[in-house]
Amino acid sequence: MMDKINWTQWIIIAVSLVAAPFIGALISGLDRKVTARMQGRKGPPVIQPFYDIIKLFSKQPVALHKLQILYAFLHLVFMMLVVVLLAMGQDLLMILFAHAFSTICLVLGGMSVRSPYSRIGSMRKIMQMLAYEPILILIIVAIYLQTDSFLASSVMNMPKPMLWSMPLLFLAFLCAVAIKLNKSPFDVSTSHHAHQELIKGITVEYAGPYLGIIEIAHFYETAILFFIIMVFWQTNLYIGFGLETLAFVAILILDNTFSRLTTTWMLKYMWSIPLFLSIANIIWLWSK
Amino acid sequence: MFNAVSKSPWVVHFNCNSCNGCDIEFLACLTPHYDVERFGILHIGNPKHADVLVVTGSVNNRNARVLQNVYNQIPDPKVVVAMGVCTSSGGVFAGCYNILGGVDIVIPVDVFVPGCPPRPEAMIDGIVKAVGILERKRKGEVFPTAPKPTHTFKPSEEQSAEKTVIKEEKTV
Amino acid sequence: MEITNFNVLLAVLIIVPVVFGIVAYFSPWDKLRSLSIVLCSVIVAAAGLLITIEPNNKFELPGSEMIATILEVGIVAVILFIAVKIKNWLIILMSLVQMGVIIAEIILANTGHTVAHTYDFATDPLTKILILITSIVGPIIAVYAIGYMKSHQEHAPPTAASLGQFFFFFIAFLGFMNGLVMANNLKWFSFFWEATTLCSYMLIGQDGGESKKNAERALLINTFGGTAMVIGVLWLVVENKTESFEGLLLAKAVIPMVLLCVAAFTKSALLPFQSWLLGAMIAPTPVSALLHSATMVKAGSYLVLRVTPGFHDSTKVMMVITFIGALTFAGAALLAVTQSNAKRVLAYSTISNLGLVVACAGINTPLAYAAALAIICFHAISKGLLFLCVGRIEQKIGSRDIEDMGGILYRMPVTTSVALIGMMSMLLPPFGMLLSKWMAIEATIRSPLILIFIILGSALTVFFWSKWIGRIQTSSYHPKFNKETMDPAMGFSLVTLALGVLLTGVGSMWIFNKFFAPITREVFASRTDISDVLWNVFTAAGNFAAVTLFVAVGIAFLAYWLLVWRRFKESDVRLPYLCGENAESTVYTTSAFHNSEGTRSYAFRSMGDKIENSWSSTTYLKNFICEKKATIWLNLIAWVIIIILLGEAHLL
Repeated sequence: MMDKINWTQWIIIAVSLVAAPFIGALISGLDRKVTARMQGRKGPPVIQPFYDIIKLFSKQPVALHKLQILYAFLHLVFMMLVVVLLAMGQDLLMILFAHAFSTICLVLGGMSVRSPYSRIGSMRKIMQMLAYEPILILIIVAIYLQTDSFLASSVMNMPKPMLWSMPLLFLAFLCAVAIKLNKSPFDVSTSHHAHQELIKGITVEYAGPYLGIIEIAHFYETAILFFIIMVFWQTNLYIGFGLETLAFVAILILDNTFSRLTTTWMLKYMWSIPLFLSIANIIWLWSK
Repeated sequence: MFNAVSKSPWVVHFNCNSCNGCDIEFLACLTPHYDVERFGILHIGNPKHADVLVVTGSVNNRNARVLQNVYNQIPDPKVVVAMGVCTSSGGVFAGCYNILGGVDIVIPVDVFVPGCPPRPEAMIDGIVKAVGILERKRKGEVFPTAPKPTHTFKPSEEQSAEKTVIKEEKTV
Repeated sequence: MEITNFNVLLAVLIIVPVVFGIVAYFSPWDKLRSLSIVLCSVIVAAAGLLITIEPNNKFELPGSEMIATILEVGIVAVILFIAVKIKNWLIILMSLVQMGVIIAEIILANTGHTVAHTYDFATDPLTKILILITSIVGPIIAVYAIGYMKSHQEHAPPTAASLGQFFFFFIAFLGFMNGLVMANNLKWFSFFWEATTLCSYMLIGQDGGESKKNAERALLINTFGGTAMVIGVLWLVVENKTESFEGLLLAKAVIPMVLLCVAAFTKSALLPFQSWLLGAMIAPTPVSALLHSATMVKAGSYLVLRVTPGFHDSTKVMMVITFIGALTFAGAALLAVTQSNAKRVLAYSTISNLGLVVACAGINTPLAYAAALAIICFHAISKGLLFLCVGRIEQKIGSRDIEDMGGILYRMPVTTSVALIGMMSMLLPPFGMLLSKWMAIEATIRSPLILIFIILGSALTVFFWSKWIGRIQTSSYHPKFNKETMDPAMGFSLVTLALGVLLTGVGSMWIFNKFFAPITREVFASRTDISDVLWNVFTAAGNFAAVTLFVAVGIAFLAYWLLVWRRFKESDVRLPYLCGENAESTVYTTSAFHNSEGTRSYAFRSMGDKIENSWSSTTYLKNFICEKKATIWLNLIAWVIIIILLGEAHLL
């Protein structure tokens, strides 16, 4: 079984758990601010997501039935678990599966209510998962091919930055991040701004504190994704931070210039170009 | 919790039988020119996520039930902002065979914004006033329905002495 | 032949079910039949547990050559007789070939062609796992069948066979399956193999009429496998002068191994032989649960697992076997996405998982072997449970379609919860199936082509399970749940298997470290070609901190219970958002919701206040994937690979 975790590790885990939603919220706020500036307006303050969350928790806890709330809790707890497992440096595939579990719980919560918008949003979310999961697993495979280990902690021991050996995978990963953060052209299931089609999709029947829980889970997810982008240059985390900023700006530009496309387009696209790029990268790594 | 609800009022917009004039002006508030998002206001399409219900148009037999439904789905605390003269008296449609009256016969209204259509600045004023009421509602105060407008105000001249009085015909 | 514990248990496991099957056939009263089945179940379960605790042992039956040959001739004769009755020329031809092969063997034996004589039955850890599955999951399903068949017979068409015949083949099958996994002598093995084919045929055709065609198809494909098997055994006897697994592995005879693997592919319904399993879904649900998910189809993967460790030198053959397994895994998952018939989804899922087992067996590294063992175990329990749940749901709502399964959370809370546990165990951590899939991905990491298939397959698996899980727990608000009444036999088996799933899920890493890891080490102890890296990955897998997953689930449930369960008020319930046009009243009232359990559609008010229905279904991707065309293409590719497999064997 696992070795005893020493105090340093406990502290790292605790700090990550507490800091991750703050970082995620700041990234979301920055997202809205920069988007606003791109559109020529002032935009909300960067700490606006904090106000949103606090407001949500002061609302009346309205729901359709109790089961969907359980799924919201599971969604949040498993997203926190992903942070914990990453901080412990555990097996990457398991981290991926925990993350997938978290998303599935959100999907099941959306499907557990008798609401057509929710149902369609959940279906589309599953299709999103279908679109980006192969790429994530291929990234883990690439890491294994270079370090002979599946543990997250082995990534930090790699001599060269991951970006050098996995450039195509990085591009594919950016597409996957765009999907996960519900950015156009992939915001088919639920999105912060676009509600013409599905009226908020999966989260349509969540309100008040339960919506707050889902939003906090979304902050965790944002923090995790951007952390992984930063780790693509793990040898020098300052450059990694710069990489992260570049990726952030790139995703924002993508979001603001593209309009929403269809789910079938998303599936076809993700299973052709990014998947092909990832496989090419893997073959190159395998034959080295 | 400090008063976050006034920093992040999310708006759901419902059009009863408006001519769309008020709706267009309201959507203009979201454009970069007026930019209400800097106050944290988000135009949410889903009543369950909303704090402020912005209503335009007046009530007829068909949408009375729908308006009631949408209002009930908004969790507390909530405020209603009724935009335009149609919501208070029926406006240009007053006396029509299908109009039952203003919005206040179905739901309790907190702020009436007069005008046909009200200017975006007036709308923002109205929403800001409503958010203030929302904050006090969150603290537990109970508010009666706002009185209907009997005067027309130009926002920039609210403090000035000039007030134009327009007599409203009482309908229904 | 002394009477030792081992011999007695062996005899009990094989013969007692057959005896009780005969009792069940001839018993005139239902109660007597049920009692005998329960008694048999208890005895078999106890014997299975006891033999697992016994140390590994061997058994030689005096005169077994003659007994085995007579039995083999007998069973082939029975199949020939059936084939003549149903006038299927292919089966007649293949049975005649089989008969010819057996006669050739008899002639060879009598003309002095000596064959190394070894023990006939043996238990080793791999056998014990399968005995445990057959002897514990099997009887639980038999108990379920008692309850299920009662109401099944009431609605059965007039062409249906009697319950006596049904239970004879059902219970006797347990004995045959036990014999199959314990057999070391290939003659006995083929006999039991054909016996299970026969049982499958009779059970699929239980309802008569339309199901006879599907039973015929099953018989055809399984007989094809049986023929391949006997030809392989004959080759082994002629070329290598042995007729046991031990001899096969010692002699490293590739051609018989390949022929045995082809037989295994037919039994396990891998591509391109999967059509019989899909057709077999027409049988009553206990049959699908026992034969076609938990035990009989596992016989094929058991066979592959038994023969492949000795053939790691024949890398090309191994690669082709792995490829078939991986192709089946991805292809069946792809086809499962398009299905809305619950049993067909389960069938495709079974085929998919069996393909994964075969793929892992072909990779031949410690982690892959352990993953294969884990999949066999966890899949047997979970899939058996799921079939039982689907049977119960079908009896209650009268439909097998997933789209009709909305709203059952309120009407049948116990069954739905059990079904949810079963489905989640197929898909989610911390249950065993996910751990096995995780190990399979880690094991295939060095072969990119296989890896791609496994990745695509697992993404598709998530897809079709999530759809179904979401659908069965759609419900409206109800202050209290309905009290569910169920036949006690069915209730017992559902709850027991659910508990089994939960316990094995919670203890999956413990089971892995205590059972599968030592077995794997034993099997691979003599292998020198396994690098340290592979052993490290194997050990690291066993060290995974599964406890964190359980803690997370526990925290979520605890937070939910504390913060929500007790504080949720009826005044907080709202209607779903249908743009304000809900047909129910504007506020939630108890009466308004009692009529709203139908979840296929949502009633809303349309023009003129007319109530219309909006309908949103789950995605079946029918525009992308046409089942017929995809099946044709996949079968074509699979046949090409089988031919390559046979070709590779001849080249060596």
